[in-house]
Amino acid sequence: MLKYILKKLLMMIPMLLIISFIVYMGLRSTGVDPINFLVSPDVIAANPDNIEALRESLGLNDPLIVQYGRWLGDLLRGNLGYSLDGTPILQTVATRLPYTLELSAYAMLFSAVIGIGIGIISAIRQNGIVDYIGRVLAVLGQAVPQFLVGILLIWIFAIKLGWFPAANRVSPDATNAFVDAFMHLFLPVLTLTIGMVAVLMRYARNTMLDVLNSDYIKTARSKGIPEWKVYLKHGFRNAMKPVLVILMFRIPALIGGSVVIETVFSYPGIGITMTNAITSGDYPVVLVTTLIIAATMLICSFMVDVFNALLDPRVRLDG
Amino acid sequence: MDSKDIILDVENLNTTFISDRKKIRIVKNVSFQLKRGSALAVVGESGCGKSVTMNSIMRFLGRNAIIEADKIQYNALRDGKVTEHRLEQIEKPHGPEMRALRGPEMSMVFQDPMSSLNPVYKVGDQVAEGLLQHNKGMTKAQAREKVLEMFRKLGIPDPEERIDCYPHQFSGGMKQRVVIAIAMICNPELIICDEPTTALDVTIQAQIMELLKEMQVKDGKSIILITHNMGLVAEMADEVCVMYMGRVVEFGSLEDVFDRTSHPYTQALLRSVPVLGLADGQKLETIPGATPNPADLKGGCEFADRCPFCTDACREKDIPMFQLSPGHRVRCLKYQDYPVAEGGEVQGEVAEVQ
Repeated sequence: MLKYILKKLLMMIPMLLIISFIVYMGLRSTGVDPINFLVSPDVIAANPDNIEALRESLGLNDPLIVQYGRWLGDLLRGNLGYSLDGTPILQTVATRLPYTLELSAYAMLFSAVIGIGIGIISAIRQNGIVDYIGRVLAVLGQAVPQFLVGILLIWIFAIKLGWFPAANRVSPDATNAFVDAFMHLFLPVLTLTIGMVAVLMRYARNTMLDVLNSDYIKTARSKGIPEWKVYLKHGFRNAMKPVLVILMFRIPALIGGSVVIETVFSYPGIGITMTNAITSGDYPVVLVTTLIIAATMLICSFMVDVFNALLDPRVRLDG
Repeated sequence: MDSKDIILDVENLNTTFISDRKKIRIVKNVSFQLKRGSALAVVGESGCGKSVTMNSIMRFLGRNAIIEADKIQYNALRDGKVTEHRLEQIEKPHGPEMRALRGPEMSMVFQDPMSSLNPVYKVGDQVAEGLLQHNKGMTKAQAREKVLEMFRKLGIPDPEERIDCYPHQFSGGMKQRVVIAIAMICNPELIICDEPTTALDVTIQAQIMELLKEMQVKDGKSIILITHNMGLVAEMADEVCVMYMGRVVEFGSLEDVFDRTSHPYTQALLRSVPVLGLADGQKLETIPGATPNPADLKGGCEFADRCPFCTDACREKDIPMFQLSPGHRVRCLKYQDYPVAEGGEVQGEVAEVQ
């Protein structure tokens, strides 16, 4: 088991290198000239010699592969480079990423508990009241776009009722950090949760139904054990494998893809940082944020492997 | 015969499935008695209601099944005392009353060992689960000892090692032994085997059947064997119950059914058994036609369309059960033409159909 985990961990290193190489090369080959961000076009036109010297001193005339090596070396030493406006990227990431992680973690937690919970109950009481309501909500939750849910929630809870703030993560006049966090997180977390619960509920219900129809559930019943044991011990563990995959692969989508929600709620997360960087052509920032998302993706797929191995003995042996 | 000799008494069992809001009768007026310590074979084509009958008795059917019966009586015999359980009166299919019976009294060996074991738990734990459930206060170590003992009895090699393996590390035959171990571990009196060897290859089939026979003879267990293998029936059964489209069409002792075969369907079944040394050019017989869709059945004999002796009377109304000799019953209007055991007397109608 340990060997299996170690092997999977080690495999992440070449994967990350390959991804960073592709992203670096891809971004540099889009024809962005960093000089254009540093110096105004008039100056470039007036002093071609000085510009050339600047290029030389910045290493921009070296082959791309050398520049990549230099960048990677810096990265490994903890220097994420500088945004084109001069701020260290490490600083941006250090302030923005925790906000996104916080938002994602709560959304994950609530949607997992609620979604899987309702899904399992719907499967056990198929065509029962929970199942019907759940199915209607699932269709609604999947069909209504997230930004609309967000705007609606803001309109109801922030504007009409005035219970929660409509934007930002921190109030300047906050006295209690916990209450402040709760107030600011509530609406965006709710918005994200609604969308994810819909997916997870459907998925958990269907896999659980499949499992409950399998022969070993009948075997379990033939032993005379109570129903809750049949459901939780024999059903749940087998049904959770595919649900876990869906859940895990939602994480990178949350971290990189909550752009819409971060925009709607003016939430200062990493997603909004990345979109801003893309629109302004700030490629060092795009590079780092892309790598962060790629790394989360890899970590999540690693966790899927580990969880699967924990849940299913058949996976352990193949490793 | 009193309840000491009869372990299971089923009278007029009807199972109806609701599918697309339509009611479809799958098991119709099934009645039989199983003698304690004997083996009953239930035979018939696929889809004839064999498994549904047994699953109705064990209450393993889903919520879309309606089970009705005049009587499903299980007589538990412990220390010379008989306790009668009226299963048809138990409301909850997985409630405490049914659960108390499953394992220590009646258990089931399922058809497909590949899918009957939970892939994520060790086989030993899966066998011990029932044991721990029904013996409060038993420690895990004691249960493990019992499981090892059972594995040895069932001929699983290296039980100490195999007990901690997962199902996927077992071959089909070994898995079926584990499934049997699960069924046997609480020492039940009645074991229902739902085609226990269909998924196994022939050599393993013989071993598994020998195991079951041994248990029946040595330990005095009562066995219901669902199968379509006539060879197995001849080897295993004391009594045979032939089913067709949800009805018992013939019931009798092994000799009654094999030597004085009565119902045209049973005759056809027996003719379609492949035998070694089939002459050149001699074809294996098949039963013409296919089993009808239970939703499309009209009144009359279900076998009418495939029966070579069918008359108009056969299609008029449902056919009652006729007794040919004590214990030998047939659901056919031509009952008077069939051979009767010596000393037997054709009695005519014994069960009314509804």
